[in-house]
This record gives sequence, C-alpha cells and structure tokens, in this order.
Amino acid sequence: MRTRLTALTAALLLASASLATAQAPQQPTEPAPAAVFPFTGSIDFGGRFTSATGDEARLERYRDLRSGVNANAVFSQQTSDYFLDAKVTNVGYRDGRYQANFSNGKLSFSFMWDSIPLNYSYLTVTPWTLSTGGSTATFSLDPTIRSLVQNKSAVGVLCAPGAPAGATCNSPSTVASALASTSIYRALAQPFDIQAKRDTAAFAMSYAATKDLTASFMLDTYKRAGNMPYGASFAFNNSNELPVPLDNRTTDLTAGVEWVNQKGMLRFAWNGSWFTNNIDTLVWDNPIRATDTNPYDPSGYSNGNGPAQGRLALPPSNDMNVVSVTGLMKLPNRSTLNGVFSITSMNQNAALIPWTINQAIANPTVYASFPGLAALPRSTAEASVRGYNAAINFNTRPAPLWGLTVKYRYNDHENRTPLFDATEYVRFDAVPEETGGVTEPFNIKRNTFNADVTYRLPAFTQLRVGYGYDRADRTGRAFNDTADNSLHVSVDTVGNEMVSLRAIYEYTKRTASGFDVAVLEDGGAQPGLRFYDEAPRSRNRGTILLTVTPVQMVDLTFSFASGKDTYSDTANTPNQEFGLLDNKNTSYNVGVNVTPMPHVAFGANYGRDQYTSYQKSRNANPPTPTDQSWTDPNRDWFLSGDEKVNNFDAYVDVIKAIAKTDIKFGFDYSDSDNGYLHSGPRITAFTTNVDPTTGKAACSSTFPSCFIPLPPVSNKWYRVTADVRYYYTARIAFGASYWYEKFDVTDFATIDSPGPNGFFAATGQPRIDYLSGLVTGYANRPYTGNTGFVRVFYFF
Amino acid sequence: MHSSVRTRAGAVLVAACAGAWLALAGLASAGPARGDRPQEKAVQAPAQAEYAGSETCLTCHEDKGDAIKTGPHARAFNPRTPVATQGCESCHGPGKAHADAGGDKTKIRVISKLSGHEVSDVCTTCHNRAQHALWSGSQHDQRNLGCTSCHSVHAAKGESQLKAASELELCGTCHRSITNKTNRYNHMPVREGKLQCSSCHNVHGSTNVRLLKVGTTVDESCTSCHAEKRGPYLWEHAPVAEACVTCHDPHGSNNDRMLVAKQPFLCQRCHVTSRHPPTVYDGWVLQNSSNANKIYSRSCVVCHQMIHGSNAPSGEFFLR
Repeated sequence: MRTRLTALTAALLLASASLATAQAPQQPTEPAPAAVFPFTGSIDFGGRFTSATGDEARLERYRDLRSGVNANAVFSQQTSDYFLDAKVTNVGYRDGRYQANFSNGKLSFSFMWDSIPLNYSYLTVTPWTLSTGGSTATFSLDPTIRSLVQNKSAVGVLCAPGAPAGATCNSPSTVASALASTSIYRALAQPFDIQAKRDTAAFAMSYAATKDLTASFMLDTYKRAGNMPYGASFAFNNSNELPVPLDNRTTDLTAGVEWVNQKGMLRFAWNGSWFTNNIDTLVWDNPIRATDTNPYDPSGYSNGNGPAQGRLALPPSNDMNVVSVTGLMKLPNRSTLNGVFSITSMNQNAALIPWTINQAIANPTVYASFPGLAALPRSTAEASVRGYNAAINFNTRPAPLWGLTVKYRYNDHENRTPLFDATEYVRFDAVPEETGGVTEPFNIKRNTFNADVTYRLPAFTQLRVGYGYDRADRTGRAFNDTADNSLHVSVDTVGNEMVSLRAIYEYTKRTASGFDVAVLEDGGAQPGLRFYDEAPRSRNRGTILLTVTPVQMVDLTFSFASGKDTYSDTANTPNQEFGLLDNKNTSYNVGVNVTPMPHVAFGANYGRDQYTSYQKSRNANPPTPTDQSWTDPNRDWFLSGDEKVNNFDAYVDVIKAIAKTDIKFGFDYSDSDNGYLHSGPRITAFTTNVDPTTGKAACSSTFPSCFIPLPPVSNKWYRVTADVRYYYTARIAFGASYWYEKFDVTDFATIDSPGPNGFFAATGQPRIDYLSGLVTGYANRPYTGNTGFVRVFYFF
Repeated sequence: MHSSVRTRAGAVLVAACAGAWLALAGLASAGPARGDRPQEKAVQAPAQAEYAGSETCLTCHEDKGDAIKTGPHARAFNPRTPVATQGCESCHGPGKAHADAGGDKTKIRVISKLSGHEVSDVCTTCHNRAQHALWSGSQHDQRNLGCTSCHSVHAAKGESQLKAASELELCGTCHRSITNKTNRYNHMPVREGKLQCSSCHNVHGSTNVRLLKVGTTVDESCTSCHAEKRGPYLWEHAPVAEACVTCHDPHGSNNDRMLVAKQPFLCQRCHVTSRHPPTVYDGWVLQNSSNANKIYSRSCVVCHQMIHGSNAPSGEFFLR
C-alpha cells in the first residue's frame, strides 16, 4: 500500500503541463533597480542593575538578570549580490543569543547560538554530597550520621519507620513531637543552587540548484547541563529529593530536497535525532540506613529495614530516524491535492541496571527463593517503536461561493519492544517480590477523516460546516478502540473594515468499544474506573471573537470561549463510576486599542478564565472476607476543582510625539485562585469520625474529626515596564528602562518553617525535613524584582 | 475492519469526494459567478506590454516604495523576488491600464479588497515552498484567513513582515486565551523572548495535528526538544504514549510542571485502586500524617519520579 501511495503521488506530480495555474510565471524585462543598503545596524551598551527579594531564581527563571554591563547589537547589509544580518543579545550572560543569516539567492545560511537558563531555586540545600564517575551520579551522606540514625540515636527522616520519638505520626500530638525533633541532616545541609542551562547551536543551509530545486540541510545540537530537583525514595515514609546533575545532548540532522513549480511540489527529507545522556544512573544513600538490612525484611519498604542505597535508571540515550515524502499538486478549478508519508524509527538499547543495588538481596541465598532475580532476561532494553504516518488532503474552490476540504490522516505507533518478564522484581531496593508483571508496550493506530464545506456569504463572510471522524485502536488499554464523531460549524467575517467576526461551535461524541474489565482489575483498579484519555465522552465547545472598528483609530475586541467534556460510560458493565467525570472551561476577553494620532497608541485587555473539574474516587482497602470497603459506596469521595484566573494588560506607546523621544509603558497582570473541594460520604465520615457502614471510628483514633479542607492555591503576578529613549542625534540615543515584577503565591505544597503555606504564614525559609521526607526545599515562593537599565545607542 | 483495509478505504473516500465534488463544481461554475470580479480573470500570462513598470507606480504611490526598495521583496539577487521580476506588478498585476485610466481601481488588483483565499492565491504563486507549501486547505485557510490577515508588505511592524511587533501580540488578536497563558507562573520561555508561537507551530500548514511543525503526532513534536522523554522505555506509562497534552498544558499553567491539574489530584483521576492512590489527601493528612509526603513538594513523583517511563528492570511502578 505504501509503495502504491508513493507511486501515485509521484505520478500526479509529474502530470502534463496543461494543468491550470493561479498565476502564470512572469516574463521579466528590465528589473527595477535593486535596492542597495548601506551598512546598517545598531549597538547598545550600558548597565543593568537588579535587586530582588524572595525567590530570586523564580524571578529569573529563564533569564539572567544579574547586574553588570549589558550589550546588544544588530547588523545588516543588503547589496545587489547578498543579504547578511547578525544579532547578538545579552552578550556574556547565561541567556545570551547570537544569530547570523546570509543569503545570495542561490545559497542561504543561518546560524544561531542560544542559551536558555532554567533557574529552579537559590534557596535550596542538601545534606548529600554529589560525585560523578562514568555515567553514574552518586549522592553520599556522612556514614557516621547514618549509623546514628540507623541505631535510632538520631532522627534522619521525620516519621520514617523506625525513627525514635513520634515515629507513628498519625495524630496531632505524635506529629508535633516529630516536628519538634528535627532531622539531624538539617544542620548538615549545605546551600545548593539548583540551576540548569540549555545551550543550542543551530545551523541551516539551503542551496537553490535551480529556480525550482532546493536542497536543504539543518544541524541542531543542544546540550543540557546543571542540576534539577528529582525524587528518589525508599519507602512510603522515606521520600527524598535530590539535585540530580544533568549532562545530556540532543543532536538533530535534517537533509531534504524540494522541487517546486507552479504545478506542484515534491519533497524528500530525512531527519535523524540522537539523544545522549552522559549520566544515566543515579545512586544515593538512604538517610535512615547505613547498612543493608541483612537478611532482608519482607516489610522493609514500610518499616525502615531497607537498603543502604538506592539506584534508579535515569532517561536512557535514544535515537529516532524519520524519512518522509511530501507532495502537492495543483488541479483544475482552484484545487490542490497534497499528501505526506513518513516512516519513523525510534530505538533505545541502553544497558539495563541490575534488579537491585541491595547486596542483601543480590546473592544466591535469595536467588534460591527468587530465581528470576539471578539474572536479567536480557542485558539491554532492545526498545523499539516503528511509526507509519500518512496524510492526504484535498482542497478545492471551483466556484467563488463554494469550497470543499477533505482530509485523511493515518498514524501507526507500533511498539516492537520485546516483552520483559519482571514477575519477580525488587521493590524500592528493599524487598524482592513475586507480584510484578511483564512489560506492556502500548500500540496506537489512528485513522482520522475530516470533510468541510465552505460557502461564501455576502459581506466578506464565510460559512463552514464540517464533519470529523477520529478512530484510535489501542493495545494494553481498557478499551480496544475509541471513535470520535464530531460536527462543527463556523462563521468568519474577515475583510470588512468595520467588523470582524469569528465564531465556531463543535460537538464531539466519543464512543468506545472492546471494553476489557480485566485490564483494570489486573492493575488493581476499580472496575467502574475509566481513564479520561480513552473514556466515552461528549464534548461541546464554542468560541466567538468580535472585533469592531467604529472609527479608524479605535478597535474593540470581545471574545468568549466555552467548552465542556462529560465522561459517562453506560454501555459497559459495570458502568463508569470513577475517574474524571466532567471538566468545563470558560474564557472571555475584552480589549480596546486606540491610536488617536500617528505617534500615540494605547490599549488594554482584560481576560477572565475559569476551569472546573469533577472527579470521583473510593478510599478502600483490598477486599478480604472481613473488609468490604472495596465495594462500599460509603467510601466514595468527590473532588471539585475550581480555578479562576484574571488577566490584564495595558500599554501606552508615545513614539516621537515628543520631539526625538520614544516612551513606552507596559503593565501585565495575572492572578489565579484554585480551590479544591472534597465531598461525599467518605468526607462526611472523616468529618464526623463515624463510618456509616460499620458504625466505628472512621479516623485512626478517637478524634472529633480528621478532615481539614485544603486552602486554595493562589498566586498573583504582575509586571510594570517603562522604556524611554531620547535620540540625541540621528546616530546617538540615550535610553533608560525600568522593570518591576512581583509574584505572590500561597501553595499548601510549599513547606516553610513552621509548616505548609496556607495553614501557616509563609516565611520564605524552606523546611527540608517535614513529615516523611528529606527534600531540597524547592517549592513555589514569592519574589519582588527591580531591574533598571541605562544605555547608549549608536546607529549606523 | 483491518487497519490496512481501513487505510485504503480512507484514501479512496478522499479521492471519491474529490472526484464527485469536481464534477458538481464543474456544473456549478458554468454559471456567471466566475469572472464577475476583475481579479479572477487572469489565467494566461499577461503580455509584457500590459505592465507599466514600478517607476510608473511610484509616481503616485511613492509612500509604498519601501516594499521594493527595502526588505525581503527587494532582494534582487533572488530571481524569485518582486524586484527581480515585475516589481509592484508582481503582486498587484499588470498596471498599464490602471495608469492609463488615471488610477482606475477596477483595472488593478487591490489586495485589501480581495477575500482571504484570493490574497493567498496571489502570495502563494511565489511563497509555495518550504513552510508555506501546505497552506491550501490548512486550518487558517479554511477559516477565511489570507496572508494579509497577519502580514503586511507595506506597513509591517515586526519581523517576517508581521502586522504586529511580535508573534505573541499578533496571534493574541485571535488566540487571546492561549497567549494569556504565557503569563502563568509555570510557562514556556515565551514572555522571556526565548520561544515564540512559531517555535512549535507552523501557522501556514503542516503535516502534524494542531499545526505543530515537527513530526506527525503531539509526542513527536514535544520530544523534538524534550528528547529525554522520547524513550521508548522498558516500562511505559499509557498517557505518555498517548499524548503529552493528556497531563500537560504546553501554553502555560498555574500548576507545577505545567500540568493540567495539581498533584496528587491529577494522578487520582486515573488511579482509583486500593491503599494509598485513592487516599483522601487533605489538610489533615498534610499536617498530621506520615502520608503528608504525597501532597507536599513533588507529591506523587517524589517516589514515582520516572513517571514518563522507566528503563529499570524493577521499574514497573516508575519507582526506579
């Protein structure tokens, strides 16, 4: 089939020269005089001054705002033979960018070097010491301290199993006792800024061999280095966060040939991509164990008798190759037919780490009981995916009033990774288990069809009605296949000088078949659960955008968008009961732009978004003869999420309305209030401490209540910018800029001393040893930043 | 239906629709509608005598001369540019009749009076390759947009002859609710100037969904930069293999790591099992329980860190 499709595409493109065209090739006589530029550009040089309080890393995030000299330059030259431009920004800083482009009509080059920092936090600390050897990053703790903790002479992780005093951590009093203890590692933790940077070098070249034939080549390579916060844990109550080092590179090569003329286009391309991770294994010391528990404890992942170290496999090196052919053909009656076919090959064959680093398990004594752990089924991953992708599109406007677009798309994600038997595996490096399973490669095959008819109405208006069908066949999921049937209608009025209107409504109904409840049950899930990415659902979405220009200097814009997804499977047994049940989004924006005179412009936009969601779950134990909570509806609970966001931005530009002076002001604002409301019989049970099914206490002890609502997560960000530039002469200008940026946030997941924000006032001082964890302190915290620039510009 | 049969059926359906439509349209277009507008008359190449020359145009339209004196349309070393062919008349059509008639607007192609499709027909006679090749029938073309909806040859404000100073500002005129997301505190580096809309999208038409410019699926697009998530892995996580946007909002989010919902609640939408996944994680647990570590800091992924997939033999639950 693939060969026939390729041949058909090629044949169509090589059809006779009698095909009509929209505009025949021109016959030049004497060309207009070529524009010849002088050497032009600008250099600006000056100083930047930044002061910040609070979470400075979040202020900078993707920038380098350090105080110091600041330099930027732009250069371009266009002659009758070539065009050349270059641009450098933030020279010498971690976010510097350097670009250059050249073209002489036949040959074009471009080059870019760009650095993007990712600043996580300057407030983080860690008691671990990092060393790297080969491709392994190792985080070590003081062995003497670890021994003290293991011998219960000191607290390593609050509430970790086996910790002294307050280890139970299941009541206010025991928790208070635990929090009063503090971890011995707290005092040993050293400041460790968590930062990373992506450096990209991108090179592109194209050669126009003839007017119709172009060869192109691109090389992109980017390196990521630095550290990022990473979870690494040993047990339910011993979770650790480490500043894991990054040292990886991705290199992409693309080569293509494209033939284009007024009749059509044909392009062949190959893309190769290689991801190389120079640090692919993480090893870290257990803060509560100095030695492996030997012999291993079958409950070692929950009672603290675990391993001395953990080891996990970081993202492996991988590669991807894509070959593609794209074609386009112009047909009579303003019609085009285009298509693409590509084959993708993704591979990953990294060496596998052993089952465990725990030598109390990796030995013949344990292998006698767990023979599967004596060796790996294979030594490398042998992971492989083959993708086949095709799309064909037909578009025609044979008559001024009518148009038709028909599209078909095929995607086949075929996972060819051999199965890996991990029925026997090691949990948390602590306990060998026989409850594992075999790897499950997911395959997805997609067929998508769309047809749209357009009709041109008076007054620059177009009506479009369309139908879409999207079918996905999957393996390894609860449903074998899903099918989305959608209808949409849109109206677009564009080109009218006073009014522009865009509106679209879409209804989609997803059905699913081949439901296999065993997939859910094998994964330990409730049979009434449906995964929302494949669950039957109905979707309604609509958007309207209206722009009115009552007079030339004013335009008003109003937009409204709303969508709702409702998930409901009543066709299968049992019916859907759990998971995401619905989500809704609403957004509206109102804006105005005014240009009262040629050199003055101002405007503002206000937007309001709201996102709500509703999900259902059941808080239950595995079913036993004496515990029927698994099927008890009194264990059900619901969660309503409600996020409200306000956006506002405004600007004023006064460009040389005052002689020789440009003035610009800007204001951007975004705030969010995100609430979480638990409800349902289980919540009532916790609130009253009465299990309605058993009549016994629902909480773990005799509390009046053991439910506390979570406070909303709120944040507010705004930025004020001001820029003034005075043109002293045609070549020299002086400039000054000021940026003010402020961010406030309250997030219960942020733990300061003395506790979770929202319950306690934020102090900006991370607590790294909160309940059951030893973390870096990375979280969401407020900041305020002031940045000023003074610059001299030279234009040439 | 077998997938290969389904594929053939889809292609045949497209071809059948095309053939039927062409037959119907051939009948429909036999009427007087076509040819009513002078801009649609030209099918054959105009004779050279019909051109007036750019110097003639500039005698009246001097303020528009920048387009053929500066900028990409003025690069005479490129034989495909207007300045190397017919100058102003490369886009506006032969102008001798217009000039001879004293500026009769009915005798020249007035771009601002054309529909979006008609404007695109003009521009794509030259801009018909590379990232512009698949414009016809693309999402923006279908919505009656033309090249001059976003670009201006004579009054550009930004790079690539955009009608606004930046892509963010331009795209925000229609996609405001999307561009507003760049101000959320978890965002891609768009407002910092490191990325822009065209870093991920080819608004002129692409082979991928949602006008994504790389690959043929959402995941292929995202992993072109985030290659460490590409895998394939020994242990796969189903929503990751499905699409990154199942869990992430690439335009910006008020949740950590640009997730569509906060953890642990996002994970609890799918993990309704026994024991800790469907535990009620509330303020009581956060302040009075050893299960607090499922709520604060990295929440679920403080343990299940390899959430995008694991290459560890013991990594079934993404713990290693």
